[in-house]
Amino acid sequence: MTPAAVAGMLAGLFLALVGSSLPLGTMYANIHPDYVALLVLYWAITSDRGAGYLTVWAIGLLQDLVVGDMPGAQAIALVFMVFVLYTGISRVKQFASWEQLFFIFALLLLERLAAWLWQGWSGVLPHWHLSLLVSPALGTALWPLLTFTLDHVYQYFHRPRT
Amino acid sequence: MAGLFFYRPVPSVLRLAALAVLSATVSFYSLHHSGLRIVGLSIARPVLWVNGEIRSGWAAVERYAQDMADLQRENKKLRKRILSLEKQNLSLPVLRSEDRQLLALLDSFPTPPGKVAVAQVVAQRLAPGSQAITVNLGNLQGVYVGQPVLAAGGVAGQVTETSPANARVALLSDRGSSIPVHPKGSGLPLLVVGTGNPQSLKIPFQPRNTPLRKGVVLVSSGLGGRFPPGLPVGTVTAVRRPVTSSFADIRVKPAASLETLDTVLLLWPPTRTRP
Repeated sequence: MTPAAVAGMLAGLFLALVGSSLPLGTMYANIHPDYVALLVLYWAITSDRGAGYLTVWAIGLLQDLVVGDMPGAQAIALVFMVFVLYTGISRVKQFASWEQLFFIFALLLLERLAAWLWQGWSGVLPHWHLSLLVSPALGTALWPLLTFTLDHVYQYFHRPRT
Repeated sequence: MAGLFFYRPVPSVLRLAALAVLSATVSFYSLHHSGLRIVGLSIARPVLWVNGEIRSGWAAVERYAQDMADLQRENKKLRKRILSLEKQNLSLPVLRSEDRQLLALLDSFPTPPGKVAVAQVVAQRLAPGSQAITVNLGNLQGVYVGQPVLAAGGVAGQVTETSPANARVALLSDRGSSIPVHPKGSGLPLLVVGTGNPQSLKIPFQPRNTPLRKGVVLVSSGLGGRFPPGLPVGTVTAVRRPVTSSFADIRVKPAASLETLDTVLLLWPPTRTRP
């Protein structure tokens, strides 16, 4: 990755963390898409070298710390999501759009459930909430726009310099 | 470095397991020590600052939306007010008309022969057998049976029934009404009686050679003491002399428009004072 791409990635991560922790009321907090997970997914799918598990874990931990969740929960959930992506459906990039959306939803749901279960295993299991389904659904709905935007950003940073 | 970031050398499952252990360690550590969370809060400061700014902006938008809602509510209220005022405006011509009627009423009698009170007509009956109106003044205001009632132009009738709040007035056109008159400028005693038609009265029992002519103005004579003398009663509109009758058929047009009364004057002649 070029320094510009890394800077772009960090800026995206910053925005995703902002979006994940915006104090816009209970409803937003419950149903907003997991922007960080979406960003990580995009990165894991589009990056030539793939996303490093430790990096993903660090991003998840950062999200835990910023949002105030149980430290480590989101971290392992993100790693698990990327693990499933790489081991199970690594060819998601070649899928048709609707198939891709289906797997994106499945991955986001998996990540959400993993974080939920991890928190429960650690002793602070949150109540089952509809947001466990709504949030991945909204994230899936946001996926086309996100990929469109990030593709253009990626192309901007990788265009030939004259 | 590649090994550090688990790119290829270590199997994925092992990497996942290692990171799960790391996560468990971090989670359990954070359950018993707050240091990690404090560090996290420090790290999150830029994010939280941006969040604060966005929250402020959002609050400003909410305030703006609230102001807009307030303005819309006020706008709605003002529209209702305009509607109400428009309704009042609609009634203004009516009020002006009533005002004109009152002025005409008062102009009819520059010096009313006694005390007067303005009364509103609240009911009207103009059937051939009964020509009467009901006004909004009654016993409590001192209205009495036989009291003269004037309208714009001249005499309208007299009170026949009273209640505490209302009074019924038999118009000159009522078949049972009669009023002593004489031609203006002449002492010829005459009696005008009602016919059941508010536009036409008659003078009965006048000989065929009566001196009355069309256009003669008739005023109250004051005989009987009920109506003060000199009040306009009507104008002779027709004098017929039918060959089959010994009497002339004399028609009189009332001085007041009896069929369109909205406001009348109740008169207390000088001889009778208001209780």
